[in-house]
Amino acid sequence: MKLNRWDVHCAFGISALTRIFCLISSVLEPGEHLLSSNMSMYQVKPVCGSLLKPDLPTCMYTLPNIHGQQGNSDLCSEHALQNGEVDPAVKALEARQDEILRKLYELKAAVDGLAKTVTTPDADLDLTVSSSLSSQSPSSTTFTGVTNLDTLLGKDLGALRDIVINANPAQPPLTLMVLHSVLCQRYRVLSTVHVHSSVSNVPPQLLSCLGPRHADSYARQMFQLGFTLIWKDVPKLQMKFSVQNMCPIEGEANVARFLFKLLSPYPSDAALATLVDSWVDMAFFQLAEGSAKERAAVLRALNSALGRSPGSPGRSSPWPTWRAIAACCRAALPPLLPLMCSAGSSPVRTWATSARPSRFCSEWSWDT
Amino acid sequence: MTKDEVQGATEEEQAQSKKGLKKQQKEAEKAAKKAEKQAKLAADQQGSEEEDFAKDRYGVPPMVQSQQKLDRVLVRVEDLSPEKVDQLIWLRARVHTSRAKGKQCFLVLRQQQFNVQALVAVGDRASKQMVKFAANITKESIVDVEASVRKVEQKIESCTQQDVELHIERIFVISQSEARLPLQLEDAVRPDGEGEEEGRATVNQDTKLDNRVIDLRTTTSQAIFRLQSGVCRLFRDTLTNKGFVEIQTPKIISAASEGGANVFTVSYFKTSAYLAQSPQLYKQMCICADFDKVFCVGPVFRAEDSNTHRHLTEFVGLDIEMAFSYHYHEVIDSITDTMVQIFKGLRDNFQTEILTVNKQYPSEPFKFLEPTLRLEYTEALAMLHQAGVEMGDEEDLSTPNEKLLGRLVKEKYDTDFYVLDKYPWL
Repeated sequence: MKLNRWDVHCAFGISALTRIFCLISSVLEPGEHLLSSNMSMYQVKPVCGSLLKPDLPTCMYTLPNIHGQQGNSDLCSEHALQNGEVDPAVKALEARQDEILRKLYELKAAVDGLAKTVTTPDADLDLTVSSSLSSQSPSSTTFTGVTNLDTLLGKDLGALRDIVINANPAQPPLTLMVLHSVLCQRYRVLSTVHVHSSVSNVPPQLLSCLGPRHADSYARQMFQLGFTLIWKDVPKLQMKFSVQNMCPIEGEANVARFLFKLLSPYPSDAALATLVDSWVDMAFFQLAEGSAKERAAVLRALNSALGRSPGSPGRSSPWPTWRAIAACCRAALPPLLPLMCSAGSSPVRTWATSARPSRFCSEWSWDT
Repeated sequence: MTKDEVQGATEEEQAQSKKGLKKQQKEAEKAAKKAEKQAKLAADQQGSEEEDFAKDRYGVPPMVQSQQKLDRVLVRVEDLSPEKVDQLIWLRARVHTSRAKGKQCFLVLRQQQFNVQALVAVGDRASKQMVKFAANITKESIVDVEASVRKVEQKIESCTQQDVELHIERIFVISQSEARLPLQLEDAVRPDGEGEEEGRATVNQDTKLDNRVIDLRTTTSQAIFRLQSGVCRLFRDTLTNKGFVEIQTPKIISAASEGGANVFTVSYFKTSAYLAQSPQLYKQMCICADFDKVFCVGPVFRAEDSNTHRHLTEFVGLDIEMAFSYHYHEVIDSITDTMVQIFKGLRDNFQTEILTVNKQYPSEPFKFLEPTLRLEYTEALAMLHQAGVEMGDEEDLSTPNEKLLGRLVKEKYDTDFYVLDKYPWL
């Protein structure tokens, strides 16, 4: 073999140069023929191996075949939706959307109703709106609502929760006696009666007004609620419960409201709650302590209220009104009896006779 | 005598007489003054002897030594009321104050807690000398007085008997006291605050204790001792009515009875013995001997080296011991009922004494409930926790916590006396 004198040393990328050399060598080798016709100029040994075929890409972009094989459906779970068929996921989505829209419309209606009352102060509350808002209907205010002692009286600290009531023996609180007997039916109540040193003589009936001493009264912890009645020389009835968190509650009406809430929550409907409150106030201020004219007016109002439908709100708060009526019967028997027993079908009379007086009320209303 | 001598003598006499004249003049003046005085005194005496028609209605009689037995009834000052008006009564009391005003002398006569105003006025029954004598009677002297009771239109605020006063007809000093007393009773009764405010004196406790006999005459001390006596009497009466038997237990014992308190040792002939810390052992012996219910009122000796409001080395102990049938609450009920009866007895029968003590030592009225309030320890803990006190469920009450609990119970139940039951077992 003839030696090529061309000896090329270069510092570039070998691959490109190797290609060039290969090309040159490949060109030159057949070029030998050309040269051999004359003469080959140079002959270089192949530096690299045989001709390497470069892997040059032929495709710019690859896409999956959209006209793909339908036959390979074992792997995919989705199937093509036929005419009119709706995807269940879409169905669920639509259902949710409908639900949300419906709630939105309801809220809008409620807000409109409230806006009306706010902007027009004289406008009566739209009863249809408010009744849909309130969760409790009027008929369920009597003793069926769920009350939690912990929410009303504070966290249970592991000891008896004692309600202390200071009352003047000259004005026994009959309402509270009745409420106490109802409380005893609902909870385990430890009742005690004390006489304060400011009072010297208390009639024996007042000492036993809360019933006989409970057999378990030596273990105070076993009771849920304590009802301590203290006969004391106070100008107004007073109730103390938690000296740190509550100021004393004064007045028989207010104490009755507090005890009533232990039995059943006040109606959440504002109108009804106000009505109940007004009956309570009327009973205490006008019926018990008012003049004869005021009492007659209240009895007429009671008459008309009870004469309405049996489900009227007036029926929901019998206790304070009953006590007040009992008190006035004791105080002013002659003029009131004819009033109450007039007219054979008077609602007040039927109501008064139908509601059985408790043991205590009967003692105090008609015996003394 | 010669003329010269005479002349000399006269000269001397003249010289003498000049001095002598002056001397004589002075003497004469003195004599004149003396004579004047004597004449005046004589005149006064004469005058007083002339005017003192009441001589036998006052004076200092000889000491009462059981020489005679008088048929005389002495009325108590506390019984002087409008019912006795226009009666002539005899009375023995101490002179609390005496104040002369012209022709009258006002005396305040005191007997234990009660005092009454008395008046000596110049008139047909009393003379000027008598009024003077009455004004000069020293404080704290004991006097016998015969007087007529008169009604007054305006109430005498400074005396306990406010509706009447005495018009004295005879007054005799039975026991005269010193003019200068170590302490004034008015000062001893004055409350401490008032004394500082108005700049008037109050008496130190040391002075009071040094002159205890005079200090015990104050109305406050009388009232305090009467209240103490009332407590003991009510205790005895209530328990006797419940069927208890009173016992007297020994106070000199051979061994210490209670472990907690310290003992006093006394020398007992050749050995030593101890003063009883409590009658507990003997009470329990009585229960075992089937006495069933006993009580004991007697001194208790504890060698407590603590100077607090709640410690004394010697005090009177009111001890009860009884057997119960089924539940210890029977004992608690019995004890609390006894306490309530004592409180009620004091409230109903000793109101004047309580008010008297309140004048010098003001305090709030004592309040209690009947039957006594009985709280459980858990309730007390709950009340304290609510008030922000941090203490464990098994912990005992410290003194400040106990006091706070008392205030909380007073606020809620309005009682100063209650029972705390079911303390944690330690």
